Amino acid sequence: MLSQGLRRAVSLLTSRTLVRRQLSARIVDATYVELQPDKAGATTLTFPGVWLRDNCRCPTCFHSSSQSRQLDWNQFDASVRPLALHMDAAQQQLHVRWSDEHESSYTLDWLRQRSFDASSQRSYLDDFYRPRTRHWAGAEFEQIAQRFNYDQVMSEDEPLQHWLQALAVYGVALLNGAPLDEGVVRRLAERVGFIRRTTYGEEFIVQAKPGAKNYAYLSLPLPLHTDLPYYEYKPSVNILHCMVQTKSRGGSNLLVDAYHIADRLREEHPQDFERLSRTLVDWNDIGSEDGREFHNIWRAPVICLDAAGGYTRINHSVPQRDSHFNVPLDQVLPWYESYARFVQLARADAYSFKTQPGDVLTFNNIRLLHGRTGYDDTEQNSRYIVGAYLDWDIIYSRLRVLKKRSASSSSSSSSGSSSSSGPTASAS
Amino acid sequence: MLTNNSSSTSCVQVSRDLQQQLVLLRLSLDSPALQFPEIWLRDNCQCNVCYMQQTRSRLPHGWNYLDPTVRLLQLSWCTERKSLQIVWSDGHKSSYALSWLKERDFSHANRARYLRDSYRPEQRLWCGKEFQLIQREFLYDDLLHNDETLLHWLHHLAVYGLALVRQAPLEANVLRDLCNRVGFMRSTTYGDEWSVKAQPGASNYAYLAEPLPLHTDMPYFEYKPSITLLHTLQQSDSPGGWNLLSDAFYVAELLRQRYPGAFKVLSETPVDWADIGSEKHLKFHNIWRAPVINLDANGRYVRINHSIPQRDSHFSVPAEQVRPWYEAMALFIRLANEQACTFKTTPGDVLTFDNVRMVHGRTGYDDTDQNVRHIVGAFLDWDIAYSRWRVLKTDLGHYNK
Repeated sequence: MLSQGLRRAVSLLTSRTLVRRQLSARIVDATYVELQPDKAGATTLTFPGVWLRDNCRCPTCFHSSSQSRQLDWNQFDASVRPLALHMDAAQQQLHVRWSDEHESSYTLDWLRQRSFDASSQRSYLDDFYRPRTRHWAGAEFEQIAQRFNYDQVMSEDEPLQHWLQALAVYGVALLNGAPLDEGVVRRLAERVGFIRRTTYGEEFIVQAKPGAKNYAYLSLPLPLHTDLPYYEYKPSVNILHCMVQTKSRGGSNLLVDAYHIADRLREEHPQDFERLSRTLVDWNDIGSEDGREFHNIWRAPVICLDAAGGYTRINHSVPQRDSHFNVPLDQVLPWYESYARFVQLARADAYSFKTQPGDVLTFNNIRLLHGRTGYDDTEQNSRYIVGAYLDWDIIYSRLRVLKKRSASSSSSSSSGSSSSSGPTASAS
Repeated sequence: MLTNNSSSTSCVQVSRDLQQQLVLLRLSLDSPALQFPEIWLRDNCQCNVCYMQQTRSRLPHGWNYLDPTVRLLQLSWCTERKSLQIVWSDGHKSSYALSWLKERDFSHANRARYLRDSYRPEQRLWCGKEFQLIQREFLYDDLLHNDETLLHWLHHLAVYGLALVRQAPLEANVLRDLCNRVGFMRSTTYGDEWSVKAQPGASNYAYLAEPLPLHTDMPYFEYKPSITLLHTLQQSDSPGGWNLLSDAFYVAELLRQRYPGAFKVLSETPVDWADIGSEKHLKFHNIWRAPVINLDANGRYVRINHSIPQRDSHFSVPAEQVRPWYEAMALFIRLANEQACTFKTTPGDVLTFDNVRMVHGRTGYDDTDQNVRHIVGAFLDWDIAYSRWRVLKTDLGHYNK
């Protein structure tokens, strides 16, 4: 942790030294603004003129208390061009005069943080936007599963940040030492942001209920699945607080990184991967909660990809897959064959462990499959888990705020200068 | 197999398509046979070893060992129980009721019917000039007490993306009562309900009296709130404060037809949408990267993102893609403005619209000491709204079964 902070501080220091040397600015192809250090080998920064004009920082174009753009886009001229540049070395500012008669100024720090250089953009996306995920096989679980102390996460920012970072990268993290009261999941969720509510309410209790309307509320074995695949806006992270664990042999947790299973299919069984990422499946849930009926349906593949082929979501639940299957007849049997392979690979890879009272298991419900083995309650020993969900939108926001805070405290303590307000993702 | 000819309705013929591994069910001589893949029938066996009636779901353990090579050994039709009987190569026996099978027939027409009637209704896109034709008003009291009206409102909102609720009381609990009637409110960083009132030092641009150009709410969330509800408590007496609304799916369709280059750029270039601030001591820094026009794998519209204040100055694309994007965006905004309808809500109105699809805005206004424009807003999610729509359709008998 220290070395990371140090490296960041050093990169800020070197970028300041670099700034003290002269930078020259020029207009390229009538539309780009290029900043060139006079030292050979240093990175040239190139900014599209229209982007600079759109992001003018003057009070007419930018509203500072809401931190947002306010220039009148109904009048915006997308063919606007820079006419003249002036580099103010003392103020560390670039001044631009535009073809629409406007004038703008930008600090070099601000520009450097928004560099269009590919590696800067990559590090902004990987370090600040959303950490890059690392996929793991079940056998690697003990190496990748990080454990945090509940009280420290609740009271200190650094453990909080590390917990959320581990959850983002590996999709699973454990907290221990939580008190055995029902308020834990809410306090933990509110430490991050707020609970994501679903049809089943905010907190939910997983306890054997013989007449339950939801399959998870039975003591039978619960095969691997993701929660609520029948929502377009599926809850992101599962928080499961173990208050009473069963003394019977069962009740173990099963976890699988389904992105790892998808990687294997892509590699070893490309046809299965293709079918599972293209065939739309009807996921559903019909029932009632607190006297209110619901009928949820969402159609999506088992493996969901973005336009670049990256994973965005896994859907899998045998009970919550609808008997309605809205695909052409000839796709049905091939899909079943591929799906059986997916289930078989996932089952073989599942890591099994048993949480203890005071443990809070947190995992990414978009990515991991989870399940549990069956168990037997007795009158003296009745397994009792309290759960809640958090959304990634809210978690990533919190993680960014924490990262900015730790970056600015480490830079101000080492360089003594005023820190920039933006994230430190500049090219160094 | 065909024996009983006492009446034409009970005369059901069952057969197999061995090559495609299908079971065919012919209900009458003049209609096409219902078609079912054998593996799907095995997967959806309704017996109590395979299916749990209490949870209305497939029992999961069989699937851990599902054998996709399972074969059908015997097939028959039971006229008495009106059900299909099957014996499988794994020794299992299944039985399926005719009504259950008819509902799940794999024909193209039946699948299209199911998607339209049960999944999500087909959306109708509209241009600014059609506003008067598609505009519908619902009375608040009817919505709270009449299920038919509630269903009609949700259906209209799903199909056209816009509906106006009138004669709501000027009370604080209106949006909560309306949302609870559907399901529950969607919470965001800004809480459950939020107040839109001019606040000179506001940290959100919408909380100023300036003109608010067309936008979608909260494009910086992956899970963007679906339906915006705006309850007018006090309207501005000044000439401003008009609502602007435009069907951005229609605007996207215009682009697709007339400016395919711009359409491609706006549907493929990821944009950084952001919101930085704090609410009730919780600091936030929200970012979501996505194009303006979002398409599914079949090229259908799934979401529009647009907000000038909430577009980040970070733009994480190669520099050469920047200028073409700006040119396409300027075109999108010009078309969206051209297609906007305008109206001014009055106190007691609740404006409801699809925030995933529509862009909305308002003209600037001036408050006075006696007249302070005041709107209360809240969100609902489509997951919850469509669930309610399906339950109401079932309860009210709107399915043709």
